Amino acid sequence: MRATPFFAALLLSATTLCIAHGAPLPDTTTAVSTAVSTTATATAGAAVATDSRADFLKNIVRVAVTAQPYDFARPWSKRAPTSRRALGTVLEGNRILVTAEVVANATYIELESPDGEQKQPARVECVDYEADLALLKPESDDFFKTRPGVRFVTPQVGDSLSILQLEANGNPLFSKGPMTTAEVVRYPIDDSSFLVGRLNVPLQIRESTQSLPLFKEGKLAGVMLRYDAQSSLLDFIPAAVVEHFLKDALKTPYEGFPRMGCSFSVTRDPQLRRYLGLNGNNGGVLITQMLKDGPAEKGGLRKGDVLLEIAGNPIDSDGNYRDETYGRISLGHLVCTKNFEGEKVKVRLLREGKPVEAEVPVARRHPEKYLSEPYIIDRAPNYYVLGGLILQELSRQYLKEFGADWARKAPLDLVNIDRTQGETDQEARQRVVVLSRVLPSDVTVGYEDLRHLVLKAINGRAINGLSDVPAALSKPEGGVHRVELQGDPSVIFLDAKAVEAVGPSLLRSYGLPALSRLQ
Amino acid sequence: MQPRWLLPLRPVHSRLRPFLCFLLLGLVQFSLTPLVRAADPNVVRKSLARISNTSQEPNYRQPWLPGVTMSSSGTGWVVSKNRILTNAHVVSNARFLTLEKERDPKKYIAEVEHIAHDCDLAILKVQDPAFFTGTIPLDLGGIPEIETEVSVYGYPIGGDRLSVTRGVVSRVDFRPYAHSGIDSHLTIQIDAAINPGNSGGPVLQKGKVVGVAFQGFSGDVAQNVGYMIPTPVIRRFLTDIADGTYDRYMDLSLTTFNTLNPALRAGLGLPNNDLGVLVSSVASAGVCSGYVLPGDVILAVDGLAVASDGTVEIENERIQMAEVAERKFRGDSIKMRLLRDHKELETTIPLSNAWPFPMQANQFDVQPTYVLFGGLLFQPLSRNLLSSVQFQNPRLNYFFEAFVPKEIYKEHPEVIVLSNILADPINTYLNEFKEGVVEEINSTPVRTLKDVSEAFSKPVDFYVVKFIGNGRPLVLERAAVESARERIRTRYGLQREQNLEANSR
Repeated sequence: MRATPFFAALLLSATTLCIAHGAPLPDTTTAVSTAVSTTATATAGAAVATDSRADFLKNIVRVAVTAQPYDFARPWSKRAPTSRRALGTVLEGNRILVTAEVVANATYIELESPDGEQKQPARVECVDYEADLALLKPESDDFFKTRPGVRFVTPQVGDSLSILQLEANGNPLFSKGPMTTAEVVRYPIDDSSFLVGRLNVPLQIRESTQSLPLFKEGKLAGVMLRYDAQSSLLDFIPAAVVEHFLKDALKTPYEGFPRMGCSFSVTRDPQLRRYLGLNGNNGGVLITQMLKDGPAEKGGLRKGDVLLEIAGNPIDSDGNYRDETYGRISLGHLVCTKNFEGEKVKVRLLREGKPVEAEVPVARRHPEKYLSEPYIIDRAPNYYVLGGLILQELSRQYLKEFGADWARKAPLDLVNIDRTQGETDQEARQRVVVLSRVLPSDVTVGYEDLRHLVLKAINGRAINGLSDVPAALSKPEGGVHRVELQGDPSVIFLDAKAVEAVGPSLLRSYGLPALSRLQ
Repeated sequence: MQPRWLLPLRPVHSRLRPFLCFLLLGLVQFSLTPLVRAADPNVVRKSLARISNTSQEPNYRQPWLPGVTMSSSGTGWVVSKNRILTNAHVVSNARFLTLEKERDPKKYIAEVEHIAHDCDLAILKVQDPAFFTGTIPLDLGGIPEIETEVSVYGYPIGGDRLSVTRGVVSRVDFRPYAHSGIDSHLTIQIDAAINPGNSGGPVLQKGKVVGVAFQGFSGDVAQNVGYMIPTPVIRRFLTDIADGTYDRYMDLSLTTFNTLNPALRAGLGLPNNDLGVLVSSVASAGVCSGYVLPGDVILAVDGLAVASDGTVEIENERIQMAEVAERKFRGDSIKMRLLRDHKELETTIPLSNAWPFPMQANQFDVQPTYVLFGGLLFQPLSRNLLSSVQFQNPRLNYFFEAFVPKEIYKEHPEVIVLSNILADPINTYLNEFKEGVVEEINSTPVRTLKDVSEAFSKPVDFYVVKFIGNGRPLVLERAAVESARERIRTRYGLQREQNLEANSR
């Protein structure tokens, strides 16, 4: 954990943090769910009042998911299907809450009542992989007839929370533990940080271990994010984050958790404070990086400003504010959970010793805006097979094909592009196209060993995304395509006619469904 | 030589390790080769010596300390009057060297006269001329034929006296030399047992030395695979040092790519004759910079036609084109026939200097350089540093790997790392900077360690260190550093606060 100070310093960073991917809701769905929610609220109120075990079970479903992620090393195919089992919690308004990890790359989702008597297929209604939350919708709303849904409660440090699991026979299994901590830490998508509640509780092993609900006095306090059996520490997504997600889920398109679009550094070091002219015990954090065209820049913030206050909350030298519920926690929570996309957040700054006020139109940075997308889930990777050269777009998912230790094992120049993309002041609108591997063919003699090379241009036209490839191929010079690469070799040539001709035999001999996917 | 880069199709085998060694003279009466005078083991053994090396490994974690002493041993042999030849790795970092001969109880004190870490060879001289009484310099032979028999002499583990093993020549190839970690030269693989302690010992055929045993595979990676340094490499070394200094190998410092593909050949304007190799990159700090451009096709080197796979024919063997430069010396030149933009041209490249940035090679007989300031330890990135400190920051791996291909040396001839922090009240808040790469100090770009030392000797109120990346600056107050100086010195037992000279011993 020696790198923590760096990460802590990045909480505000839009360059590395402001990402989310939400499946937009179809208009019709939104209308239905809003409409239903009003009626459901009324019934739910009565149900929650009686805090019995049977009532708990009413609002719990088993979720069985078959998932099939894409294989980024062979972008035309999917990996072998895997299955996951989780618990879903029925919320007021006919929605079922699970963590997003449960439904990532799902091909089939089935809901099942705790006793196993009722089963029904479901689909994902809304998902945010950054906040790790998803809503499921059963095939028929009849499913909710006996399931009024739970209400939320704000968990506080010191509260005793009950974690619900299910026995094989459908009986509930409660484990209790005290909530010890609330802090802003990373969620499973590497770059996203949100509020996390933590408690110490020994959990038994049961079939469904993901997405377990946590209750306080019969109300939903949060959803389990991860559990470490060795230390018995359980992290959960607290109600505050879930409620923000639910409000966003009603909008089309889904907007998600907004950020400021700048990164900052802590200013605790007294020598730094004296150098910056920050005298006394004032707090404030130093803005070290601005996202080009990001919210902070639009709000007039500058690199080198000292951020003193956000929405009336003084910021201390560690980047914390005093939250009314959780005490000193990172300003990341203040920015992303207490605000919505497009809202203007008032900030007070110190610029060259003088106080300045500004308004930042906070916004989420969508993963598509990254040079190297931080995650690609539920979406097939694009590719283009050029006479046997496999062209793909660089993304972190591509690098993760090198295993858990990808940052060391993947080609270092590609890792470097991914890791340092936030350091350039440019808002990335382009993609890096990589010649990932070669399927040997008549056309690629001599090129068999090429892999993981950045492709710069084809026939003199710069390639800033796979979609540039077909147009660039339309103009071969003298019957050959000139392919410029970064590194070794710097240029290769392909016979244009031979590329055309070899297509069918590539499809046949390597079993490819198509020579390209450009979406 | 940057073989991992020059010859990307020949990855360095990471499990290849030089043998260091532990043994003594033995006497084995094999009459392995015909009746040439020196082939008689009784004659050969007189010219052999067991070398004992008391070495001192520099300490890169605490570079102000003198380092740990270690003992190792290997084999050496009389190559000419008053000269002993052995491997560089046998006598690296030597503080005290002794030689022992068979049937002579005396230990002779020796010194390194020349050492070539890039080809793992060294010449020793002996203080007492009595050592050479009765020794016969062994003659150098040529490259032995494949499948012919050779005998390996030396003092490997498993006994105290001279050991001889026998095998055949398995192949002749261009292979990495594990000692420096980045050089590749001609190598001969033999199937005679070569074990730790054999290092530096002669391999004989028909009474002549055809190689020097030097490396093999560790563990159970391979069976009966041993390598020897062949005589062209030995002869080159002996010729290079004839003027009293070793100038190192000359290296073209360019990368090439095959021209096997018909469309590639057509695009480059090459006829269908399987000749020519495409230049992918030319290092701007290398000798070819300005003479050869990326995208050129090398058709011939010194009159030798270059095949489409980058090989040339030398002495009836197809060998990597790099071998032509391998055989040259500083001050020589190399002729190239190039195809540039479909036009042929001739160019003569003066081989003025060896590759100037050795940080990617294992270095020996040097002292770690460093600057210690306010408890912050600044060191240049090097293979030596990376092998003694386990860094977590992936940026350092990138800077190391990309140092030559991405020409990082242009901005950072030395990549200065804040490698450690000796904790003190003045640096309590600076841990986040550990493993960072220094970009500038007080707005002056930092290119070498000397720049760091100079920046910190200026009388300013604040030292502001900017690291590569987007973090905050590191700020040290001069007054605070000065008040802490003595405290840090005593607390950590620092003898010196900086060393800017690698050859400071």
